[in-house]
Amino acid sequence: MKKVLLTVIMLVLVSTAVLTACGSNSSNNQSNSNNSNKSSNNSSKATTGPDNSAPSEEKVEPFTISLRHTQIGESQKFRKAILDDVVAKTEGDVPGLTIELEGVEDEVNRFTKLPAEMAAGNPPMIFDIFGGEGDALKYGEAGRLLDVAPILDELGLSDKFLNLDQFTVDGKVYGLPIGGNTEGFFYNEELFAQLGLSEPTTLAELENAAQVLTDNGYTAFAMGSKGAWVPLMLVNTLIGRYAGPEAINGLASGDVKWNSPEVIAAFTKYSEWVEKGYFTKGELGFEYADMLNEFVTGKAGMMFDGSWRASVFKDETQAGALTNKVSFFPMPAVDGGKGDQTYVNGNYSNGYGFSSNLNEQQLVAVKAFIKNMYSDEMQLRGLLEDGVLPSIKLSGDATSKVEDKVVNKVIQVMGKSGGAFSHFDSTVKSEVYKESEDAILKLITKHETPQSVADILQAVQDRQ
Amino acid sequence: MNRILRNPWIYSIMIIPTLALYTLFFIYPMATSSYYAFTDWNGLNQASFVGLDNFIRVFSDKDFINAIYNNFIFIGFSIFIQVPLIILFALLISSVKRFQGIYKTTVFIPSILSTSVIGILWGFILHPNIGPVNQFLSLFGIEPIFWLAESKWAMVSILVVNAWQWMGFYIVLVLAAILALPKEMNEAAEIDGATGIQRALYITVPLIKPIISVVVMLSIAGAMRVVDIVLVMTKGGPVGATEVMASYLVNEAMGVNPSYGVGTAISLIIFAFALVLTGIYQATFGKTKE
Repeated sequence: MKKVLLTVIMLVLVSTAVLTACGSNSSNNQSNSNNSNKSSNNSSKATTGPDNSAPSEEKVEPFTISLRHTQIGESQKFRKAILDDVVAKTEGDVPGLTIELEGVEDEVNRFTKLPAEMAAGNPPMIFDIFGGEGDALKYGEAGRLLDVAPILDELGLSDKFLNLDQFTVDGKVYGLPIGGNTEGFFYNEELFAQLGLSEPTTLAELENAAQVLTDNGYTAFAMGSKGAWVPLMLVNTLIGRYAGPEAINGLASGDVKWNSPEVIAAFTKYSEWVEKGYFTKGELGFEYADMLNEFVTGKAGMMFDGSWRASVFKDETQAGALTNKVSFFPMPAVDGGKGDQTYVNGNYSNGYGFSSNLNEQQLVAVKAFIKNMYSDEMQLRGLLEDGVLPSIKLSGDATSKVEDKVVNKVIQVMGKSGGAFSHFDSTVKSEVYKESEDAILKLITKHETPQSVADILQAVQDRQ
Repeated sequence: MNRILRNPWIYSIMIIPTLALYTLFFIYPMATSSYYAFTDWNGLNQASFVGLDNFIRVFSDKDFINAIYNNFIFIGFSIFIQVPLIILFALLISSVKRFQGIYKTTVFIPSILSTSVIGILWGFILHPNIGPVNQFLSLFGIEPIFWLAESKWAMVSILVVNAWQWMGFYIVLVLAAILALPKEMNEAAEIDGATGIQRALYITVPLIKPIISVVVMLSIAGAMRVVDIVLVMTKGGPVGATEVMASYLVNEAMGVNPSYGVGTAISLIIFAFALVLTGIYQATFGKTKE
């Protein structure tokens, strides 16, 4: 008898353990997803919600949505302040909503966390994402991203965005850029004046400035190439100059060959500058942030970077002695360059994407977030406080309110340009871009020549 | 009670949870990994069978061959430089009469630090402009050395930092073996006129051969799967100078254009390498009994 009893007890214990371990919180999810229907039944929980100020008589069930941003660190504080205000406004607009913020370093989010989450099918509900073939379009086509085109229609925002190309495929919009940017040279005005240099307007003047800086013991171009995307910004613009603005899309379509003489000329120019010692010594050991440090501490005369950096130079805590002593100019025209040489690099590629796995309540929250984030008010704040060019059309006098001289210079540069070409990281296939990252580092260390780099990239392109 | 425990059914019931968990967390992942190694799965697409393509692709990439070569450098450094130093330090500490505990604790501290902390700490120590190493060298008029940015120095730097991190752990292992030896033999040898070096070489070291064998084997296995210190300090760079198989795996399986199929194939290759090398070692030098 005892034996049977013991056996039964053991069976019950083991079954309980196994069933408990194998169980999931699906019941919680279920109740969460249906909580809008049950909201009136649970008044005690509703009173603990974050939105007690809601005047509605009807009690609402609290719910949360996750938001992953990359606004971490001192240089992102202006953008983070805008995000915080948008989040607060959205929580106020949607009863019961709490937005859980998670800040992750940009590269970690783009290359480590997001790909793994996309594979597992559990990305955050709102997250920082890049447009283009390797990011938003790839995830969108795999069904992981929400098509926001209907939301834009509903909110009347469809025609407001300046450029959604890098997020759009077959009429579906898989993300919204937070702003626009161009890439060019920031330079130390004080140091230039001290060395008798003026703002370069031709390639010869640029190279002369680089040589004078180098001869005087300064780094001509601050560069942190530990992440290969940093030197590739400059390579991309050189390709836009030597092979023409259309080349960036042409490389993706196959109309322009990587090993065409014009593209090789761009690699050759880069290689020549490496050879002349214009870049930071030991650049392969320095991060992107180190490049800014070198520039703001006056050790480098110029820095090729995106206009998103502009806000740093008006903030004394970040720019130090260099505050308000920096200006900006685009890559000058090059001899023998194809196409319109006044084009600038212009991107609307970084912004927010949204998970396709949302219930109705969460969708309402996402709509409110889009409405608040992509409003005239917040976009103007982005321009004035953070120096990021708006991604939506603002009224004509918006730009006249800009007081930051670097941002004004960026706006002038874009205004004078004949048009914009994007970055090839958003047009070419991921395989090609990945190879370009390896190739540029090998070019810097002279393991490869401009010709061999171009041949390697063309070979990868041909395999696609 | 004894009769109940002799019932095989009771045993079966009792081990089911363990077996279930073992299957869930070990057998199943291993089996799926082995399967995905033969597919082109990138996390988003439907995995399709590609045969040995992933293995062929990996072995035809000269960067991976370079990574294997770097793993062997790790192994060589561990066996021929690290292990002798471990034995030397263990012998020195064992012969110290005073403050032995302090020495033991001091050498052990690096192995309890997180690799991230060590990476940041040594990143500062080796910094080309403000690092104490270059500051010291500049006293002799030596130009700043880019320890982590120049191919010829990066691997040396990683090897030294990795050795600094793990030597203390092995020193304590060997030290425990030395201190457990009976003192009589050493005392007898001393009376017979043997010098300290002779006693160390001909008495102590042969007697601790089993623990040295374990240390060598752990070093080989550790060198095969080394990755954290590489990722924290150089991410495999500059231009693959410090790339090892596991960091190559991380870069292929994640990052730009991730390919989990290739990643799992590489993990199987690393597993096979580690298995074969430790097997060879055990069958040859690692034999402690005839």
